[in-house]
Amino acid sequence: MHIPDGFLDPLTALVTYAVSIIYAAYAFYRVRRSKKSEEIVLASVLAAGIFAAQMLNWPLPGGTSLHFVGGALAGILLGPWLGFISVFLVLLVQCLVFHDGGITALGANVFNMAILDVLAGYVFYRLFPEKYKLLGAFLGGWLGITIAGIACGVELGFSGQFPYSLQSTVFVMGTWHALLGLIEGAITSAVVSYIVKKAPHLLMG
Amino acid sequence: MILRRAFFLIIVLVLVSPLFGVILADMVGYHEPLDLAAEALGLEDKNEEINWTPFIDYTVPGLPDSIGYILAGFIGVAVVLALGMGMAKILGKGK
Repeated sequence: MHIPDGFLDPLTALVTYAVSIIYAAYAFYRVRRSKKSEEIVLASVLAAGIFAAQMLNWPLPGGTSLHFVGGALAGILLGPWLGFISVFLVLLVQCLVFHDGGITALGANVFNMAILDVLAGYVFYRLFPEKYKLLGAFLGGWLGITIAGIACGVELGFSGQFPYSLQSTVFVMGTWHALLGLIEGAITSAVVSYIVKKAPHLLMG
Repeated sequence: MILRRAFFLIIVLVLVSPLFGVILADMVGYHEPLDLAAEALGLEDKNEEINWTPFIDYTVPGLPDSIGYILAGFIGVAVVLALGMGMAKILGKGK
């Protein structure tokens, strides 16, 4: 899901950077206004965990692979703004220190994983009543990845030179991520269930 | 203590990560849907052409891939935590 350098055309790169910068400015403003230092420290511990979890790529039969992304989980545990900052930290370090995700694509990668995926987790978890919260967490994880995958397909499609590119990239990214996202959903709801039981005070969303 | 468990989990994840990030990936050929879509469009990955970091793709110069992957994992975790602590100081409200 991390777009490398070379995939996006300048216009797509610029537009996604602009949207992500504006969103980031607002997220930082919201966190600065309402969050305590300890909450931001917890968010960075979650970021470190997501970073480590993303290093485990699971190869799948059929020649593809997946790793946990964690955006929806961050949205559920931390809410949209602190959740954004947590995933943004991961993406920033991956890009700058390990060149995982291109510098020209950082805006798009932040948009897909730190904005869309985090918001999907937050919204779906919120939508469901107390009794069905774990289903909400599952759907957040699953659809978060699917939505982020589709957005990624749209960005690639706009960057492609062929008239059919948008359709084909959206289809490929959408279907693959709708499948891989089931595992993301399962992990997300398992982690949320554990935290609700063992440390409910960590649910700050 | 949940924080201690979190750090324990992070350390375990980093220690086992080369199994999935290097060994199995080499065996099966790491290939994510993004690569499939890009292939269909003829888009070119230029990460290696315009690289700035010695740790590209979680390697550490001079170390075998698996050991480098673990060290890269700990470097990444440390940088994430350091940035996070810095942010907590600047953005966070005092008690």
